[in-house]
Amino acid sequence: MKIGLEVHVALPTKTKLFCSCKTYVEEPNTSICPICMGMPGSKPKLNKEALKIGLSVSEALHCKIKSRIGFVRKVYFYPDLPKSYQISQLYDPVGYNGYVDLGSKRINIRRVQLEEDPARIYREDDYTLLDFNRSGTPLLEIVTEPDIQSEEELRGFYAELRSILYYLGIDIDKEMKADLNISLSDSRVEIKNVTGIKNLVDAARYEIKRQSALIEKGEEPRVETRSYLPERMTTERTREKETDEEYGYIFEPDLTFYSTTNVEKIEPVYASAIAKEYAEKYGASEKTLLELIAYDRNAMELLETSAHRHGMQSIISALETLKKFKVQMDPEKFEKVIALVEANAALDAERINIIAKGGEVKIGKGISEKEIEEDIEKFIAKNPGIVEEANRNPKSINAIVGKVAKETGANAKVVAELVSKRLGIKP
Amino acid sequence: MISRSIEEFIKAQPGKEYYVKLAEELAKLNKELNAFNNINGSLSSGYPLSVKDNICVKGMETTASSKVLSGYIPPFNATAVERLSAKGFGVIGKTNMDEFGFGSFGLNSESPARNPFDKSRVAGGSSSGAAIATSIIENHVALAESTGGSIAAPASFCGVVGFTPTYGVVSRYGLIDYGNSLDKIGVMGRSAARVRYTFDIIKGRDRYDATCVDLPAGSERKQASKKLFVIRNLLEHVDESIKKSFEKTLSKLSGMGFEIEEGELKELDSAIAVYYIIAMAEASTNLAKYTGFKYGGKVDDFSKEYNEFFTEAREKFGKEAKRRVVLGTYIRSASVRDKYYYKALQIRRLIGEKISELARKGSIILPTMPMLPPKIEDAGKMNPLQAYMVDILTVPANLTGLPHVSFPADYIDGLPVGAQIIGAPYEDYAILDLVGKWEEDFSYKFAYNLGSL
Amino acid sequence: MDYKEFERLLKVCRIRLSENETEEMKKEIDEILAYFDKIDNIKCEEDPAYQPIDLPEQLREDVTEQFNDIDAILANTKTYRFYVVGPKI
Repeated sequence: MKIGLEVHVALPTKTKLFCSCKTYVEEPNTSICPICMGMPGSKPKLNKEALKIGLSVSEALHCKIKSRIGFVRKVYFYPDLPKSYQISQLYDPVGYNGYVDLGSKRINIRRVQLEEDPARIYREDDYTLLDFNRSGTPLLEIVTEPDIQSEEELRGFYAELRSILYYLGIDIDKEMKADLNISLSDSRVEIKNVTGIKNLVDAARYEIKRQSALIEKGEEPRVETRSYLPERMTTERTREKETDEEYGYIFEPDLTFYSTTNVEKIEPVYASAIAKEYAEKYGASEKTLLELIAYDRNAMELLETSAHRHGMQSIISALETLKKFKVQMDPEKFEKVIALVEANAALDAERINIIAKGGEVKIGKGISEKEIEEDIEKFIAKNPGIVEEANRNPKSINAIVGKVAKETGANAKVVAELVSKRLGIKP
Repeated sequence: MISRSIEEFIKAQPGKEYYVKLAEELAKLNKELNAFNNINGSLSSGYPLSVKDNICVKGMETTASSKVLSGYIPPFNATAVERLSAKGFGVIGKTNMDEFGFGSFGLNSESPARNPFDKSRVAGGSSSGAAIATSIIENHVALAESTGGSIAAPASFCGVVGFTPTYGVVSRYGLIDYGNSLDKIGVMGRSAARVRYTFDIIKGRDRYDATCVDLPAGSERKQASKKLFVIRNLLEHVDESIKKSFEKTLSKLSGMGFEIEEGELKELDSAIAVYYIIAMAEASTNLAKYTGFKYGGKVDDFSKEYNEFFTEAREKFGKEAKRRVVLGTYIRSASVRDKYYYKALQIRRLIGEKISELARKGSIILPTMPMLPPKIEDAGKMNPLQAYMVDILTVPANLTGLPHVSFPADYIDGLPVGAQIIGAPYEDYAILDLVGKWEEDFSYKFAYNLGSL
Repeated sequence: MDYKEFERLLKVCRIRLSENETEEMKKEIDEILAYFDKIDNIKCEEDPAYQPIDLPEQLREDVTEQFNDIDAILANTKTYRFYVVGPKI
């Protein structure tokens, strides 16, 4: 079994790929101009930021990058395509021959290309309705070699790709559409426009079953394009489309070549590699760490800044707490969350939010560190000999701890730490 | 719309009543412009301007002479129009042309163009209306456009100055595309000075056209090259009468102190094939957008399945447009793309290098057209390939993006005969300077002088 | 080009011709292609000239700009509520 993917992601630019219209505007046909409407006489002009992001993704996917990139016209007819050709890339894409590593398995990337999104089209019984706001939105198409050989690899690749894209600033919550190429035998079947990992896996499962059944009967699956129907979890043949022969690619003569050498690229972050590194170094679960940091820049920062100061289990618990309550904060405040974790204190949404907003929370039932410290002082004042006693016999502090904990209702572990601190001895 | 007025005028020949009316209108416009200029304290800064119908004028129907675009009202001005309007030029109308620029005679239009000097003959194309307007209106300049010779050919046949700038020097924003890597907006006028004046305003970088560039600094001061090359092997395709007349032009230029030398560029033998391959490949993509619902001629019944709907809309293309779409689409097919399209682009570079090398040593001089304006019926009888061959002298400069200017150099039996000067890239002002010098000692003849003050 | 190939080509272009027109155009196109074939004999290893003169690149900053006359764009179309009406799919 061989599976190849073509993943389409929308880029986080303010304007469209070839015109200055605002991207991602809701109210239909309010963000349009002669260029993205394909009006006769209009000409495209390339968005610098889209080029930068395209090249950054290519670099992050370890692609080769030519010294210059160029665009082509891909001609096909459909009501959502204003010029009846899409400005895309073919011979000189932003990247080619890259890879994504999933542990020991390498999924090769054939090419990464920039192209424009068509308009949004709504099917009615006797006509269609078109919203050209989407027309011209920059897309990146990432094409893999047919290296994916199992459902697990499909999931793994998709998750890894999303994580890499996330750290390059791409909004992965926006629709990511993929085309699946599946061949069990010699015939390649393409399944178009599958959205999300669940649908991808379901579509692959269905298609593998369908093709296996044909092969068992001694039939060869037909080379064709199908589409996935999420509500029925099946695939069906799609409309007859232009073939590679018929797209009739030519160089886009309204644009020139663009140099790639002086484009400043965004540094990639590989969350999976970082998870692995920390897991090995601090003896934690790689999987757990990756789940926390794969799509969370804040968690990544907190992990990196706190790892050398606290136990990894505490950090993980603290991060899980933040994730659970969907709260972000800076490393300084995060210290307080770790303190709560380490004190085995209650961790509810309210308290986490107070910390996130810069407030203080009490570690025990209604008592803060400061109040505990005051209690300790009072106890010492009442029992002046205790300091000397404690220095001679560290175990004797248990008396103070027990007393203070009982009076304040605070967590004994926290009290023990504070007492040790006060008396300058190791707990 | 002036194109129709002019067509009617030419057909009426001269149709006295119409002559008066048109002249009055133009005179009025001139007066207004002059009044405007006087108030602003400058010299006559603007001319009445006609605009080829493939160049967008905001709010004015722009169809490129195609029924598929009938009713298209551009929501913006072409950059050239915008810049001229800002300088006091007033648009008096859109001019007739071969549909989308597909033709060398001006006949691929609903109202085929006639030559002002002899109404039984063609005016040349595709900027037929621009040349006719320039030929009959005294005080006026025309915005025209050339892909393979569409400015030079009608300028030559109608006896006016037709200037095609270096590729990319005038913004194509607002030009309805034929072959984007070949299309150039240019100017027609009754003198090199007027053309130059207009070109000054429209040239240079434009944020709306990524292929548009500035001329190098100091270009305006470039003088005519003293040395002129004749490309001998191209003359093989020229009618005897034109050749004889061209010899006369050369001797006159020699007398003016120009050095005439002969050169040979065998590479140009494939120029027509290379040009039409690139032009058709690009044209067939440009015409794909005409599907009958976003602009121009509409199909009413939206319940038709889209393929059927589009096919019905595209029936409105004329014959030549259909031919170029089909041929261009074939040439782009993956299985033959390298053989035609890619190879043609390679040869274009080769030809460009060779011809530029020559043009850097001295400008090139050639007849503009290999024949006198043919009779309309004779032109109509030519098969497509024969018609394409008429561009043999205009294609070399157009294919390689070199600036060239056609000017009236002689008259045979009362019909104008044009010659052209081709310069190296960005030598636009040098070739205009040469035509200016030619005009010091040669008077152009015009069939009519409408709108004179 | 054989007849079937030509018919397929017309379909790809969304161009419909009568039988006579098809016959005539096919003949003309075959003739033109035969003429184009002469470039086969030219030896040429140059880089393709996508533009006649090599041009410098020009990019656009990612700054939004609202087109000033959207109504004039939509005036060229048939609209329904906020949408442009297109043919059935």
